[in-house]
Formats: sequence, C-alpha cells, structure tokens
Amino acid sequence: MPLRRVNRRRIGPLSWTAAGLLGVWLVAMPWISSVTELRQNTQIVVMVLAVLGVNVATGYGGMISLGHGVFVAVGAFAAAYAADDLSLPWAVSIVAGAGFAGAVGALVGLPALRIKGIHLALVTLGLAIVFQPLAKRVPAFSGGVSGRAVGAELAPPSWFGTSRWAEGLYRYLICVAVVALAMWLTHNIINSRPGRAMRAVRDNDTAAAVYGIRLVTSRVSTFALSASLAGLAGALGIVLVPFTSQESYPFQESLVLYATAVLGGLGSIWGSVLGVAIREVFSLAGATLGRISGFGPLGEFLRLLDEEQFVFGLLLVLLTFVFPRGLIGMLDRRRD
Amino acid sequence: MDLALLLQRVFDALFNSAIYSSLALALVIIFRSTGLLNFAQGEMATFSAYIAFVLLAGAVPGVTGGGLASWLGAPLATPLAIGAAVAVGIAVGAATERVLIRPLRDAPELALVNVTIGILLALNSLMGQWWGTGPRVFPPFFPSAPGDHFEVAGARLRFSTVGAWLVLFALLALLALLLRFTKSGLAFRAVSIDPESAALNGIRVGPTLMHGWALAAGLGAIAANMSANSVLLEPTMMVRVLVYAFAAATLGGLDSPKGALIGGVVVGLSQTLIPAYVPFIGFELSVLPALVAMVAVLIVRPAGLFGTQRIERV
Repeated sequence: MPLRRVNRRRIGPLSWTAAGLLGVWLVAMPWISSVTELRQNTQIVVMVLAVLGVNVATGYGGMISLGHGVFVAVGAFAAAYAADDLSLPWAVSIVAGAGFAGAVGALVGLPALRIKGIHLALVTLGLAIVFQPLAKRVPAFSGGVSGRAVGAELAPPSWFGTSRWAEGLYRYLICVAVVALAMWLTHNIINSRPGRAMRAVRDNDTAAAVYGIRLVTSRVSTFALSASLAGLAGALGIVLVPFTSQESYPFQESLVLYATAVLGGLGSIWGSVLGVAIREVFSLAGATLGRISGFGPLGEFLRLLDEEQFVFGLLLVLLTFVFPRGLIGMLDRRRD
Repeated sequence: MDLALLLQRVFDALFNSAIYSSLALALVIIFRSTGLLNFAQGEMATFSAYIAFVLLAGAVPGVTGGGLASWLGAPLATPLAIGAAVAVGIAVGAATERVLIRPLRDAPELALVNVTIGILLALNSLMGQWWGTGPRVFPPFFPSAPGDHFEVAGARLRFSTVGAWLVLFALLALLALLLRFTKSGLAFRAVSIDPESAALNGIRVGPTLMHGWALAAGLGAIAANMSANSVLLEPTMMVRVLVYAFAAATLGGLDSPKGALIGGVVVGLSQTLIPAYVPFIGFELSVLPALVAMVAVLIVRPAGLFGTQRIERV
C-alpha cells in the first residue's frame, strides 16, 4: 500500500486550468462544429492513443520507437478486414484491430530483447520506411496501392437521430469513451506490478533481472501494449473514415507521432494528451501564418510553418535544449 | 542461369554499392567518434544535391529555370556547382556538430536521437517546400550517354560505375592520408579511441569531432551528388539509400571503415540480385532484405563482421 502514496502528487493550478480547458472543449466542441469539423476533431482525439503508444514504448519501456505509424496502419487494416471481409460487428473489429497490431508489436518487440537504444531506433525507423512498399505487396490485407474502402458503417441506433451530425456525434462519443477507457487501463497497468517492472527494465535492465523481473516477458508485453494502443487508434480511424491506404502512412508520419510524444512529455500519460493538443495548436497557428502572403523571405518562412513536419522537426530540436522532459515537465515540478 | 545477365546485374549493382559504401563510411566516421547514429545524414546529403541543382538550373537540358551556371556551359558548370554544393554540405555538417550536437555531449542517447530525427524531419519538409516534392532532373556526375560504357564479357560496365568507384577510392585514400599524416587526423583517432584521455593530453575534443562531422557530411554530399542523376533528385531521395547504408554499416561493423566498404558492396549486390531472383521482392521492396539483414546482424553479432566487440562493465 505505501507504494501508491509515492505516485500521488499535488496538482498545480496550471494543471487544473489545462484539465478544465480540455473538459470544456470536449463537451462544447460537437455543438459548435460542422459535420466535417466534428469528424476531424474526433480524429484528433483518437490520435492521443497512437501518441500514447509511442509513449509507452519509449517513455515507460525505454525502447525508442520511430515506427509506430506502422502499428496504426496495421490496426486500421486489420479492423477493416474484420469489419468488411469477415462482417464482424464493430466492437469485435475494433478489438481485433488493436489485438492484431499488438501481436505484430510483440513480434517487433522480440528483437528488442537484444537490440537496444539507438540501434532499436534505427531498426524501427527502417520498419517505418519498409512499410509502404511491403503493404503494397499484400493487397488482400491492405488494399494494395489504391487502398481499401470499408463498406460497413457504424450507424447510431434510431433513437439517437439519423442526421449526419448525429452520426458524427455518436462516433465521437464512442471514440472519446474508448480513448478514455484505454488511457485509464494504461494508467492502471503502468502503476501496477508489470508497469513497475517496465520502468525498472528501462532504468537498468541488469538490476531489474537480478530482482527477478523476466526481461523477455516485460519487454515483449510492453511493446505489445504500446503497439495495440497505436492499433486501436488505427481501428477507430476506420470507424471515422471508412477508407484506409498505405498512402496515409509514410515514414514521416511515424516520426511526427514520435515527435508529438516527445513534445508532450515522455513517461506521462497526460503528456501524450498535451502533445496532441500542442500539435493542433501549432497546426492552426501555422495554417493562419501560412496564409499571410508577401513579405519576401519572411513570407517563405511563414509558409513553412504550415508544414507540420517542418514545425515538428524544429520543435523536436528546440525542445531537447529547452525542455528536455517535454512540455508536461512545465506543469509537473516533480524532479526525478 | 544466364551468366552474361548475371554479370550485367552485378555491374549495375556496383554503382549502388559505391554510393552505399560512401554513405556507410560517413555514418561510421560519426559513430566511431561519438557513438551516435546520424539519422539526418541522408537529408543533409540531399540538401547538398539541391544546392548543386539550384546552381546548375538552366545549364543542363531538362532542368528548367535560369541559373548561375547558364553562362559557363554544362561541361564546366557541373563539376563547379557540385564542388560548391559539397562545400556547402561540409559547412552544414560542421555547423550541425557545433550548434546542435556539441552542447548535448553529456545528454542521454534519447536527446541525440531527437535532435537528428528533428533535423531529418525539418530538412525533408524544407526541401519539399522550397523545391517541390516531385522528382527533378539532375545532371550526370559522369558521362552517361547510351554509348558511355566498357564491354566486358558481353556485359556493359558503365562509365558512371567505374567513376563512382574511382571517386570512392580517391576519397578513401584521402581519408587514410588525413588520418595518418595530419595532426588533426591523429587527434581524431585519439578522440575516437578515448575522448577523455585525448582531452587530458591536450587535444581539443570539440573541434576534432567537428572535423569528423565535416568529413562525414562531405562524403554524404558527394554520394548524393553522384547518385542524384540516376535516382532523380527529390526530398526523400536518400531515405531508402540511408537504410541501405545503415544496413551496410551494421553488417560491416558500425565502427569499422573497412566494414562499411565491404558492407556497401554486399548490400548493393543483394539489393539488385535478390529482387532479380526472388519475384515477391520487386524493386520497391528490395529494402526489406536489407532491413532483415540489419536486424539479424544486430541480434546475432552486434559488432558486425569487422567491428570491435563491445564489452560492457555493469
């Protein structure tokens, strides 16, 4: 029991404000959004899971993963396959997507038993680069070059309303619930025995092994958990947009996911939420600045700020110098 | 099996081999001295090729726009522009070390991964924004008209292949001379072996590492400029090449220049020969065997073929 108290910490006023803002946004957003905006914002909510996946592997497990976009894609393909080709109900399909991505993650996690640190970063980057051509080669699963459309649709019950907006709201509520549930589960896993083992392995694997932690089990299950979170994000993506293609998962996408996780703060669940929020703030700001025309070279630079990749690359470099623990490090004064 | 065809494929592969060896060598130089994998090596090299492209615009048929070199004529302008571009590449490499890497000397590995990945993303996007994401025509580094080849046993050995290897050997010789006979080279070797003792002996570790980065960036830039004609210049041009180069460096041993060279040859050959004889792996997927080989080497023998075995004290 005393262990639980160690993890308790006081929540500062800044954190309360942030949580309040998030709550207000979550409640108010659907009522002030068009059908398209509602869908896009739901996709943003879902992205939290993919970033959280990177966070679990890199922040809690100490295994740098530059290839989590692959697991998002695998989750999406598997869910599409289950819902469409196997005509399974959506709840099963979504779980199947996450589960399949988790299984693939466990496979990728196997080499991580021997490959560590920067070498693992290299291998996962390679995976992200190989993914597109590989996906084109298995059209039955991925839809090949052109991608696959999903015929099945997740429709709300009739009492919920039949308008496009009501459909969107229904999917939004489901996604928010699933994301919240997954975050809660992840939080519990991380603060339980396997989670403590995970962090012990991250900090010093030899010492952890001496204390009786099975490195194989710990590393593989950590990677599987992180991949299934990413896969869940992919599966929910299918619910929102009934189409998926390898086109949407270039290696840069994986790197931006990684950057988002680092930016928010590794080793903190709320850090991933913050990362996604910051990503959206920057993309809005960039889009606004990018519309300004003229100003010569300055205008060129402003247009670059509309490029998510550029902004994230730059932020990743800057952050390493300014906030080595990510932005959540600002909210959380704990030193560890 | 058709022997002439096999020989032809080997010849074709050897050009890529030279490119992979150069880039692998660049990676090895940095890994040896700093223990860091430079994920941005490929994009930095591509950036240099774009500089040459900008300087040359107009001088070469197929390249649109007016350029600095339009009044020099293509034969003279190409080497000049590429030379200038390589110089820019070297400067970028040195500046990167000074500004972004040196302050992180005592930082954890993760910080260095973040910085190099950040450079990769930012440069990649910057190039796409400035010069477009589509492929661009780049002038050949070596004469590469249809008739520019030697006939060897019924197979064609292109001038560009021979040229790429001559350049690579010249660079290797230069590198060997630098490391063996110059003060800075001696300092570099000392720092690679043990930075702390080197510093105690009065060697300035920072500037020495900066030289290493400059060298590596130069090698990468030359590789990019040599290959931009055949793979077509685009922002992601070196991404796959980087995977091959990493595979080559890993195979040979990440701290072994000799290993990088041999690894480059092996990877280049397998990249051409495996898709030719295994139908599932077409041209596009030929990066898969390289990745698999890399993983296998890292699992079975992390030191590679020629690298030094690491013994860690716990």
